[in-house]
Amino acid sequence: MTHIIGAGMDRRALLKLGGAGIATLGLGPLTACSGSGSSDTIKMLYFGQQSAATALQKKLQPQVTKLDKAMKLEVTGINGTDWNDFLAKVLTQIASGSAPDLVSVATEGLQLMASKELLIPLDSYVTKDLSSLQSYFDDIHPALVESMMYQGHLYELPDSFNAGSMFYSTGLLEKAGLEAPKESWTTDDFHTYATKIAATGPKVYAFDWVVRLWGSWTSFLYANGGNLLEEGKYSGGDWLWKSAYKDNPAAVAGRGGGWKWGQPTANSAAAVEALEYLIDLQRSNLSPSPDVGGGATLQGLFSSGRIGMTIGGGFWAGGLHNAGMKDGSFDVQRFPTWKSNKSLFGAGGYGIFNSSKKKDLAWEIVKMMVQPESFDIMFPGNVTTPGRKSLMTAERYSSTGPSNWSVFYDQLEGSVPISAPPYYNALATSLNQRTTKAISTGNAKAALDGMQADFEKAVKGV
Amino acid sequence: MSSQMILNGGIAGRFWRGVGLVVLLLAAVVALGPLLWTFTTSLRTPAEAFTNPPKWLPTNPDFGNYSAVFQQVPIGTFLINSTIVTVLIVIGQTITCTLSGYAFAMIRFPGRNAIFGVFLATMMVPLQTIIIPVFVIVKSLGLTDSLGALVIPALGSAFGTFLMRQYFMQMPLELGEAARIDGASQFQIFAMVYARMAAPAVATLAILNFSAFWAEFYRPLIFLQSQDTFTLPLGLVGLQGNLGTGSISVVLAGVVLAMVPSVLLFVFAQRYFIEGVTAGSFR
Amino acid sequence: MSTLAPPRSGNARPLRTDPGGRPRRGTRRLARREAGFGFLIISPAVLFVAVFTLAPMIASVALSFFSWDVITPPRFVGLDNFERIVRDDAVVSSFGTTLLLAFGIVVVQLVVGLGLAVLVNQRRRPAAKTFFRTTFYLPLLASTAAVSIFMGYMFDMKFGVINYYLNAVGLPSVPWLTSTWGAIVTIILIAAWQQVGFTFVMFVAALTSLPTDVLEAAAMDGAGPVRTLFGVKIPLISPTILFATVVAMINALQLFDQPFIMTKGGPGTATTTATIVMYQTGFQNLQFGYASAIASVLLVIILAITGLQFLAARKWAFYR
Repeated sequence: MTHIIGAGMDRRALLKLGGAGIATLGLGPLTACSGSGSSDTIKMLYFGQQSAATALQKKLQPQVTKLDKAMKLEVTGINGTDWNDFLAKVLTQIASGSAPDLVSVATEGLQLMASKELLIPLDSYVTKDLSSLQSYFDDIHPALVESMMYQGHLYELPDSFNAGSMFYSTGLLEKAGLEAPKESWTTDDFHTYATKIAATGPKVYAFDWVVRLWGSWTSFLYANGGNLLEEGKYSGGDWLWKSAYKDNPAAVAGRGGGWKWGQPTANSAAAVEALEYLIDLQRSNLSPSPDVGGGATLQGLFSSGRIGMTIGGGFWAGGLHNAGMKDGSFDVQRFPTWKSNKSLFGAGGYGIFNSSKKKDLAWEIVKMMVQPESFDIMFPGNVTTPGRKSLMTAERYSSTGPSNWSVFYDQLEGSVPISAPPYYNALATSLNQRTTKAISTGNAKAALDGMQADFEKAVKGV
Repeated sequence: MSSQMILNGGIAGRFWRGVGLVVLLLAAVVALGPLLWTFTTSLRTPAEAFTNPPKWLPTNPDFGNYSAVFQQVPIGTFLINSTIVTVLIVIGQTITCTLSGYAFAMIRFPGRNAIFGVFLATMMVPLQTIIIPVFVIVKSLGLTDSLGALVIPALGSAFGTFLMRQYFMQMPLELGEAARIDGASQFQIFAMVYARMAAPAVATLAILNFSAFWAEFYRPLIFLQSQDTFTLPLGLVGLQGNLGTGSISVVLAGVVLAMVPSVLLFVFAQRYFIEGVTAGSFR
Repeated sequence: MSTLAPPRSGNARPLRTDPGGRPRRGTRRLARREAGFGFLIISPAVLFVAVFTLAPMIASVALSFFSWDVITPPRFVGLDNFERIVRDDAVVSSFGTTLLLAFGIVVVQLVVGLGLAVLVNQRRRPAAKTFFRTTFYLPLLASTAAVSIFMGYMFDMKFGVINYYLNAVGLPSVPWLTSTWGAIVTIILIAAWQQVGFTFVMFVAALTSLPTDVLEAAAMDGAGPVRTLFGVKIPLISPTILFATVVAMINALQLFDQPFIMTKGGPGTATTTATIVMYQTGFQNLQFGYASAIASVLLVIILAITGLQFLAARKWAFYR
């Protein structure tokens, strides 16, 4: 950039000027308090409120001190209504030249950050420390691990995930004279449920959803056997499957080196049918117009008993509990089967920045964060699903519900990660725009043709 | 409409004045309704917040949302940040714009008209169209994610200079001449004679800046990433929660809290708010 | 943009007093010293304006010719970015959306602001005037972000209070923020709701300062209230109307907060303004060069519209 500004003024003059401005006006305290390269601070970006980030920092600090006496951990909370928001903030932070050492990255941003070489592959670290990580790999679903791979390399150790299951209000089901849905239920059953729930009163919507990539109409698309992008897998990855899972080859049969998202299939027959299904739900007054991004109103409506069913994952156990719902007033079941029982999930974990000068220490922290005892420090109150299966216990859900909590993990079977390619941002923007367009016009095909064109443009742009 | 005319207007005039009053009252309801709804809903429990009809009177208020705001986000920090940013910009612009406005109005120096012309030209450039280079400059000064990113670029202003210049232009040159004969220096003439007379214009500029920067959303959105640097408007949007899981009555309590300082200032300095709006069009 | 941003254009009237026209005074040495003092005291303002407005203006245009993701060094691409804008439906339509929304907001804001100002001007009791002035100004005290938040809840299709009252009088729910025209109308209404106070206060001040002799003369000629309004008052305050239009237009063309917070630019791209596209392109997709090109085009559009307004003014506005 310097040489562009150079057209108007030289950079040294600029810096001097800035310095003079700061000095004369006594604005010293206004500048960023943490210099980018201070050698005894390790910086971590966390997706959430600063209060939670600070709490996490306090709890992790003793562990970090164990690794390096002089090291201070600094956790910065970045808030966003959705992953897009968070990612934009992280990218802006990188653009502003103050990249942290560790960053919370979910499936949404993994390929984007890996392809830009912002994160480093963990392959050599994992190989080196395989023996101490064996208990971790034994405990975690290989689908989660695979979702953190890109082009054969592993970029994160997943610590949490959310798979899209179907939540329902037990009160409304009772009112409609319905029994809890069975695990094998289909979208036809779902429709029957919806119709009966809607009949209980005018202020009730049978189903509500949010426009986004995770657990949106995309859940129906997956169940319909389709996807937004052609599914494929990178080769590679055997270095991990053949070592960490050598005792359990069956579990990793067919696993590759990460998901390779191919040509866009946004206007495929399966996609059009799935989106039309949701438009029909709205037309027949079984669901309202969905929100974009967040789910504030959805959660509020669901917890005040005005929504019969909605898509959610383990994070909703804590979310609904916090919104004041009592255990027993809601429960969860597998996502209904349509043409297939494919469902979706997104995973989370921490990546190490390429620009970090403390990669070795950062790796130690990553390992520490996936220890079983770290989970509730990282995510207090069931606000996500633990990646380690041993943490999925009845006790965990005894205070928040739901009683059918085991669905959260079981849903991973036959599950495919959300299709977040390196051009995730462009994909998410288009997905939001075209989906809301389809809802407002009622024309799924035209909107999805547009989405397909957007995606094709984005593929070329990468 | 002159008062005589209306008095002479008879029954028809009175009728139309009555209609006018009804229209005004309806408009007042439209203007105040959303604010009242926000306030009363912020006093309902989260579970009730979705229940219609809304409660227009805060019977049985629940102040829990207000304490929840403080628990969920550091709203005190947001408030302090907003105050620091606004106050420093107001002070900074008062100094730079008073000085430059005075110079452009009262002092002769080569290139004055040319420089002033450039100032006028930049006045037309909206901030949003130059945000990317400003971001890059802020970045190269090491200011991103700090309050300095908001304050320092806003310390000078072409508009403020213009406003102050227009005010100084109306002042008589003779006062300065007299002071000069008494042996006052250039700076003394400025500080002791003219700057004092400019107080109303300074107040107007200050209020204008307060309104603009207290409510600012765009620059904070781009320049700030970590929550402890957030200003109120950005923090409020954050209150909507991660993945939108915030409770609406808590969010609204935050909205009300954020409005309190503006309303207080308005109560005490209403005149300058009104002046601020008309500034430039009447001078 | 922010509520009541300092009007970027304050120069509605031509500067009549030429500062250069004042009599020369003092000797040459004195003049030099004076000039030195002049340079000294304009320097802080000049410095800040040069670094944070003028240089970015030039740099923004310069960046338009580069491809730059901030992480790797910029690459010169000539006119590629501008060619891309022409072919990029999303960007082209965002300019259309911006103009549509801005036009709507300005019209509502001016008409309602003027109407209310005329009515308030008729009130005789000062207390009534103060009450209405305060009332109509109040929305300006909330930040646009705050307004977007609570209006978003009020206009919600499912549980919003607006639809509740519509249903209560037997009307169907309106998809305010979830249909193309609903979202456009809602954004216009909400932006105008907040900004009406701005034009209103301006117009009240202008109407109050009208010379009584002219009004009395009109009354004596037997002009009725309507004729006085359209034949005398409005022409007399036309410079203020023009000024208000220019300021409101410049603000409205930068509309960002309301659609960003309430609709994320949707549904579809119905409320995706140029500034939202810029934000997405620059700060979400890290295409700073392309975003700068969009910014440059927006700048040209804003300057052109402002220029047109001044030209129109020269023709229509009535300067006393």
